Amino acid sequence: MTDLVGNLALGLSVALSLKNLALCFLGCLIGTLVGVLPGVGPIATITMLLPITFGIDPIGALIMLAGIYYGAQYGGSTTAILVNIPGEATSVVTTLDGHQMAKQGRAGVALGIAAIGSFIAGCVATVIIAALAVPLTAMALLFGPADYFALMVLGLMFAVVLARGSVAKAIAIILVGILLSTVGTDLESGEERLTFGWNEIADGLDVAVIAMGMFGFAEILRNLETTQTRDVVHAAIGRLLPNGQDMRQSAAPIARGTLLGSLLGLLPGNGAVLGPFASYTLEKKLAKDPSRFGRGAIEGVAGPESANNAGAQTAFIPLLTLGIPPNAVMALMVGAMTIHGIVPGPQIMTKQPQLFWGMIASMWIGNLMLLVINLPLIGLWVRFLKVPYRLMFPSIVLLCCIGIYSINNSPTEVIMTAAFGLFGYALVKFGFEPAPLLLGFVLGRLMEEKLRQALVISRGSFKTFVERPLSAGLLLVALVLIVIAILPSIRQSREQVFKEAD
Amino acid sequence: MSEMPTNRPVSRGILKSPLDFGGGLFLIGLAIVGFGGGFSLPFGQLSGIGSGLMPKTVAVLVAAFGVLLLVQSLFMRGDQLEAWAVRGPIFVLGGVLVFAATIRPWGLVVAGPLAVIVSALADKDSRPAELAIAAVALTLLCGLLFKELLNLPIPFDPAGLIPEPIFRAYVGVKAGIAQAFAALKAGIGR
Repeated sequence: MTDLVGNLALGLSVALSLKNLALCFLGCLIGTLVGVLPGVGPIATITMLLPITFGIDPIGALIMLAGIYYGAQYGGSTTAILVNIPGEATSVVTTLDGHQMAKQGRAGVALGIAAIGSFIAGCVATVIIAALAVPLTAMALLFGPADYFALMVLGLMFAVVLARGSVAKAIAIILVGILLSTVGTDLESGEERLTFGWNEIADGLDVAVIAMGMFGFAEILRNLETTQTRDVVHAAIGRLLPNGQDMRQSAAPIARGTLLGSLLGLLPGNGAVLGPFASYTLEKKLAKDPSRFGRGAIEGVAGPESANNAGAQTAFIPLLTLGIPPNAVMALMVGAMTIHGIVPGPQIMTKQPQLFWGMIASMWIGNLMLLVINLPLIGLWVRFLKVPYRLMFPSIVLLCCIGIYSINNSPTEVIMTAAFGLFGYALVKFGFEPAPLLLGFVLGRLMEEKLRQALVISRGSFKTFVERPLSAGLLLVALVLIVIAILPSIRQSREQVFKEAD
Repeated sequence: MSEMPTNRPVSRGILKSPLDFGGGLFLIGLAIVGFGGGFSLPFGQLSGIGSGLMPKTVAVLVAAFGVLLLVQSLFMRGDQLEAWAVRGPIFVLGGVLVFAATIRPWGLVVAGPLAVIVSALADKDSRPAELAIAAVALTLLCGLLFKELLNLPIPFDPAGLIPEPIFRAYVGVKAGIAQAFAALKAGIGR
């Protein structure tokens, strides 16, 4: 307990330096600004803004990136409420009741309760991260290569179970991601793999290039197709602060949402995406009058938004303690951290405690800042959202181009990003979900490395994976998961959960 | 996020699910490219696996799932293939390619407006006047933001193409921003 307080104090001393406060503020502000753009989710936002952190020292850069991340997350909710377009999967649920509230002239209250709920969830999640970090890091040190491999298999299985649509397609797309991860020079033998003699990709594909192509450009292509009538709320925004009754109605949903979101966010394989769905379903079940849901029930915004933010934050735990990204956004964070010379994993906490605890403390500060920045700026976001899409998407294209070019000053990478844009568009056309690919891409390299190490240690015996209790247990859970996903009855209810959200 | 294609069951013909059929072919195509690219790489032994094991194994698995989807598409009813747009991809990605081609020789002053204008043509309702203003304004704004404020090494006007009066105004704004930023930095302390 004293450790916890001591660690947080260390973190706060780092995060509260004037420079880091400014970076955190800037990150939150720009993150929200870009995240508010319809169709631009956290992945595209982070990729686009990655170059602006280049000139900063690693601690500051990470604090800023984290700020960009939850800024983008919050910006997505704003778009969901005001325009009925979810920026990403986790804010889908918010559109249901949030947009209805906005239509009834209660947009301000919806945004207000989302901000307040997110803030409370963020505070709790920060404490959970701080409390779990030390024991989990200690546990991570017990992990051998075989156990790591098994853990990643488990994470990918979770991603399969949680993906929408067919199980076979979800597994296949993860495998494609792993296949893409083998492109480039093999680290052990120095041989070029899958490069077709093309020098530009001898160092492997950049995660930012894939992410920007599939989540920036492909998303624009899809948005252009659906001639959506963007119904930006015309009703007044109304007052921002929820009144006593709103708060009473929201208090319990926020608490439940926070708890659910925090727990699910810990799961490897994009558990965070489940939080808002689970919270919405729970609140609807518990409500005295479930028919209010879908017609502007404040609980339907408060609960899921809290779950969303809590999960977004606890998703950092597997990344920071085990070095394994649980979802596509965190996979991108691995890329971002690597650029700054930080290798995510248990050694961060022991070797760079200032960086580790500074980042965690800045999460809490960032949440506070979001509350302070966003409530007064809502009017600005509304005006921003009224810019017609025919002007908005060329601007997004330009920002994406500049962002990608600046990562390595390479025009070739810009061209490759365009190619991945087309690839991402094709994926969607064939009914594949792009997010698991990114996860498979980042985990693929790690998995191959750990597989090699494990087999070297065991002198080529695959038995090592079932003989070590930890890895055997993890693989067993993965197996159970996949069986469950294939069972028809569960498949139906799984589809229903997603249907309801649509 | 991306919504999956809506359910439009097809019942006629041998092909019960064109979407899965297309998806299966797509996977098999990817697997062939992957396997071909790693064809000559050694498999190695289990105690020291070679560089070819992972790509080849994964490529075979991808192909297997492709076949699974093909078979499935003959028996399980599924969705229709979605039509591909032509205009969107050509102009949006064309704009990106134009940016890539012009950024080195002529800098952002040429690449910026071109990327904006070409990609905007993806929408049939684009309006020329509005677009021209937006292209210039966005380019100058991005120049100030990324080049001057954030010091990214992106070429702005290496060929000296900007007309004199605009350039003078730009330099003026730039100096103002640099001053304000320096003052801010001094206040915050590095």
